[in-house]
Amino acid sequence: MAANPEIWIAIAGMALVSYACRAGGYFAMGLVRMTPRVEGWLAAMPSALVAAILARTLASAGPVEIAGVAAAFLVARFLGGDFAGMIAGIGAVAVLRSIGA
Amino acid sequence: MPSAAFTWSGVRRGFVAAGAMAANSAVYGLIFGALAAQAGFDLVAAAAMSAIVYAGGAQVASLQIWANPIPLLAVWATTFAVNARYILQSASLRPWLGGGKPLRTYASLFTLSDAGWALALKRWQTEPPDGGFLFGTGAAQYLPWVLGTVAGHIVGNRIGSPETYGLDFIFPAFFAAMAAGLWKKRSDIGPIVVGAGTALLAERWIPCAWSLVVGGLAGSLVGVFANGRKP
Repeated sequence: MAANPEIWIAIAGMALVSYACRAGGYFAMGLVRMTPRVEGWLAAMPSALVAAILARTLASAGPVEIAGVAAAFLVARFLGGDFAGMIAGIGAVAVLRSIGA
Repeated sequence: MPSAAFTWSGVRRGFVAAGAMAANSAVYGLIFGALAAQAGFDLVAAAAMSAIVYAGGAQVASLQIWANPIPLLAVWATTFAVNARYILQSASLRPWLGGGKPLRTYASLFTLSDAGWALALKRWQTEPPDGGFLFGTGAAQYLPWVLGTVAGHIVGNRIGSPETYGLDFIFPAFFAAMAAGLWKKRSDIGPIVVGAGTALLAERWIPCAWSLVVGGLAGSLVGVFANGRKP
């Protein structure tokens, strides 16, 4: 497959599609007038999208991963910042797996 | 609307803020590189794909359907499905970056990542928006991703399992920690509940990449009715 020029067409197309997604939403919002409703919609996007990402993670997670998500959230919220929370979550999962939980 | 700055100090701060996610990019790059080698990619093709597509989820997903001859339309459609969430993310950046120089902004958007997007929006709740910050988060993850791909392709299947050290959990742990910072206001409850609920419901009928988009779209529409809120 290495000698196949088709792979470069595939990669170029994937690059175009990916960039179109990354720039497309920003571009489209430039054509829309920023009313309070549009701003409210865009402002709610992070909370909603992060919730969707976590919901999907938890849906396919076992008890160990659920404990890891809880550890990351709680540490980030009440003790240290993002980084401490992330390390707590990863650490919790690593420790729980090593003791065979 | 504040006119967006783009400073080198912002780039540096974004780079530092995304430092932890650089490890995730390297691990994920290793995995993609190994998978690409198995799928018959030569080193240059694997590295080039990581360098110009720069979308781990889409690249791994497209390998699942890779065949000879390459099903081009299916590969591109898969890429679109997995990356469609970026449309929502980049749309949400408009109020923050809208005043910036177009060329710089569109160049920065090439490096848009899930982690960089979340870090930037959280940061800009307390600091004036700086397009450099977003670019810095992307830059921090870019090189580890490409170099990880190269290393993974060379090392192939000799990589131990990242699960042992919880390294497969970096991404979920990161988003759980981000949620702790982003979910602060009472007005966030509606988008969270609707976003999560819709994503889970949608997942029963449509591929998981789309369920994220549907969840994000449905949840964020709650914000349309929260009138007069500033982003």
